[in-house]
Amino acid sequence: MKTATMPDRRLKVDSELKRLILRHYLGAFRAKRPLTRRPVAWVTSGAPVEILLALGILPVYPENYGALCGSRKAAVPYCEEAEKAGYSLDLCAYARNSIGSMLSGRGELGGRPLPAPDLLLTTKNICGVVVKWWEVVARHYGCPLFVLDTPFAADGVTPEQKEYVRGQLEDLVDFCLRATRRRRPPREAFERRLREVLDLSGQATALWQELQVLRRNSPTPASALDMFTNLFPIVTLRGTQACVDYYRKVRDELSERVRRGEGAVPGERFRLVWDNIAIWYNFDLVRYLHRRGAAFVGETYTDAWGLYDFKEARVGDPLDAMAELYSLVLLNVGLEVRKERLFRMVRLQRADGVVFHSCRSCKTYSLGQYELARAVRDELGLPTLIIEADMVDSRAFASGPTVTRIDAFLELLSGGL
Amino acid sequence: MNGASVAAGPPPCRTAGEAARAALERLVRAGADPVSYLRGRRAAGAGPAVGYVCGYVPEEVILAAGLHPVRLGGRPGPVGPADSRLQSFACSFARACLDGLLTLTGSEVAGVVFAYTCDSLRAVAESWRIHAPRGTFFHFLNLPARLKGRGVEDYTRAALSRFAVSLQAVEGGRPVTGESLEAAARLTAAVRAGLGRLAAVRSARPDILPGSTFIAIARGATVLDRGEAARDLDTLAADLEAVVEANPLPGDGAGSRPRVLVTGGFLETEGPLRLIEEAGLDIAADDLCLGGRALAFGAGTEARPDAESGLGPALARLAALYLGRVPCPTKHPPERRFAFVCDEAARHDVDGVVFLLQKFCDPHAFDYPELRHRLGSAGHPSLLLEVEQGALSRGQALTRLEAFAEGLREAMEGGRAG
Repeated sequence: MKTATMPDRRLKVDSELKRLILRHYLGAFRAKRPLTRRPVAWVTSGAPVEILLALGILPVYPENYGALCGSRKAAVPYCEEAEKAGYSLDLCAYARNSIGSMLSGRGELGGRPLPAPDLLLTTKNICGVVVKWWEVVARHYGCPLFVLDTPFAADGVTPEQKEYVRGQLEDLVDFCLRATRRRRPPREAFERRLREVLDLSGQATALWQELQVLRRNSPTPASALDMFTNLFPIVTLRGTQACVDYYRKVRDELSERVRRGEGAVPGERFRLVWDNIAIWYNFDLVRYLHRRGAAFVGETYTDAWGLYDFKEARVGDPLDAMAELYSLVLLNVGLEVRKERLFRMVRLQRADGVVFHSCRSCKTYSLGQYELARAVRDELGLPTLIIEADMVDSRAFASGPTVTRIDAFLELLSGGL
Repeated sequence: MNGASVAAGPPPCRTAGEAARAALERLVRAGADPVSYLRGRRAAGAGPAVGYVCGYVPEEVILAAGLHPVRLGGRPGPVGPADSRLQSFACSFARACLDGLLTLTGSEVAGVVFAYTCDSLRAVAESWRIHAPRGTFFHFLNLPARLKGRGVEDYTRAALSRFAVSLQAVEGGRPVTGESLEAAARLTAAVRAGLGRLAAVRSARPDILPGSTFIAIARGATVLDRGEAARDLDTLAADLEAVVEANPLPGDGAGSRPRVLVTGGFLETEGPLRLIEEAGLDIAADDLCLGGRALAFGAGTEARPDAESGLGPALARLAALYLGRVPCPTKHPPERRFAFVCDEAARHDVDGVVFLLQKFCDPHAFDYPELRHRLGSAGHPSLLLEVEQGALSRGQALTRLEAFAEGLREAMEGGRAG
């Protein structure tokens, strides 16, 4: 696949993103040093991280580390380390990458793996896999583990579900204090700090939503590459001022692009929506679509981070609102709700078709896509494309057949079939 | 749903009496072909049946609602209609399950109940919800993943209560009461007790009751009318116990075969177990969804006459029962299951362990390295085989099993010589 025929319209703010990423991981290593010590927690992308931040705990995201390894095309050797230890090739590649890096003591952070955790927080709201994965990590490091159990919210959250999750959030506070051997702060002081963090999360989320709105313009000022790359702060730094400051700059840059009528993809002909996690090691595939005038105007994955709207948490009982919000994340709701959200995105972003990344590693996200694709075709009358791949394990990807299918899809979009 | 797997001829089992042979045949036939059983039952004018897809669905509640519970275990063989609904990397059992559901005609069961365990079965439930024949009862029993901790018992009880109420929507479904739930609990406890006696016979004399036959019987007990199942299990257990007593020493060759524990998830057929036996191994114990784990309920299995009456306390007892059982790997924490497998391996004096891993089953695959390590540390070598579409890849699996059996035999002989 040739890639160098189109100028890469990267956002100027990307250079600052690199500094943010570097600062985050350096901070995590510094947190392990005696003089700058701060408790480090490994958390999932669906973790109520605001509680940890309010307690001064530094969250680190093995899934994000997986994306980082994937985008450097470096994940396969770590996956193989995990496979050597008996973890099946069929398991989530984020998990294999993380476990392999952990077991080998090697990694992509200056040759090092993620800094060892002091405590672990995993959440069922994104999948059952992260519970099992975190159990492995807990055994390896002998670390305390908290499992936030969020029952399936197929059609919404029942009162007993909310009560169950809320109780666990209260327990999570106690767990964090025990694990970090800290005294309980006065309730008022903790709630005040929690509201401050939630406010910062809410501001970042609102800005993230603004970016998605800006993408409704033709041509779209940001495509999937920009959005996947710029996910890092909303996932990893949500609840911090740095995250808010960064997205203000992204918003300003996209607004400027809109004002100038400058699109992310020169000669935008087709507007597409992407479903599922990025194929981190193969952005060339997206560039291939760009070169043919196909721009991504929305992704269900990036859109999911705009759902953390903490308005109610800031004014009412924060744990009550968090219990509901963290139960309603994209992968914890039913197919019907996912379909509604997808259809809404297709309509608002004025998409011409949907590309489904059938990601071998991510079953919660991928299973159900056949139903969604059928619904897009039958109910919206739009063409769909299903790409078989994996988010970081490049061994599960066959370039030739994928490109052939992309070509056929583009022909369909052109009305050629 | 297992119609394709009906074995030719009766399964191996050394019963003595006619009544026991008839009981064995009833149980095994029902388990091997639940669809025919259900159709026959319906034709005879029996009440509606409700299917369930996971061992975490308490059949006590279905029985208490006056309905017949039947475990739907997946259609073995090449994937059929599920292929266009679920990707090939969905757990093999999940695909078989959906396949089985999609091939039902609608008359066999009045509805299907799912329990929240793993991501793949959740996807099956979601797909079935879309494609189930109109008017079919559907319930997703939204159980917690945690087995202990704040709110777990209360939440579980609330989920069971919703389930009990939902069953009134099934035609013929009665309101569940404390009394009906206790009566149902007594019946299922009797079924488990019967299977427990058979498990003891299997361990003592796998030449009399092979492990594959035991699982076939256990499967039948999730299909057959539960009153009939309890009576048949009692008859069969009494007969086999008498056979063991009358033949205290194993026959020719028996007793020299290595004993293994088999661990894994749900098996669509007994084919993989028969292959293990064919390779020269005796299955003395198991940690399978239909076998050992289905029996490993802790305190509370027995009915307690002094217990507080009423639906609320009965549901609370049921919640405690299911939270206290030996868990499957989808539940947290996993330690109780690890301990169970290691303890069972020691208690049944097995020489090795066979892991039967359903292809693409994440929870079991994640636990495998740790469990293998713990078993190995306790002196139990193990072998991992992948099950796909209800079967093992015969040639390769048999070779590996024979080599494993050979290694175990050598170790046994070395042990005796030492």
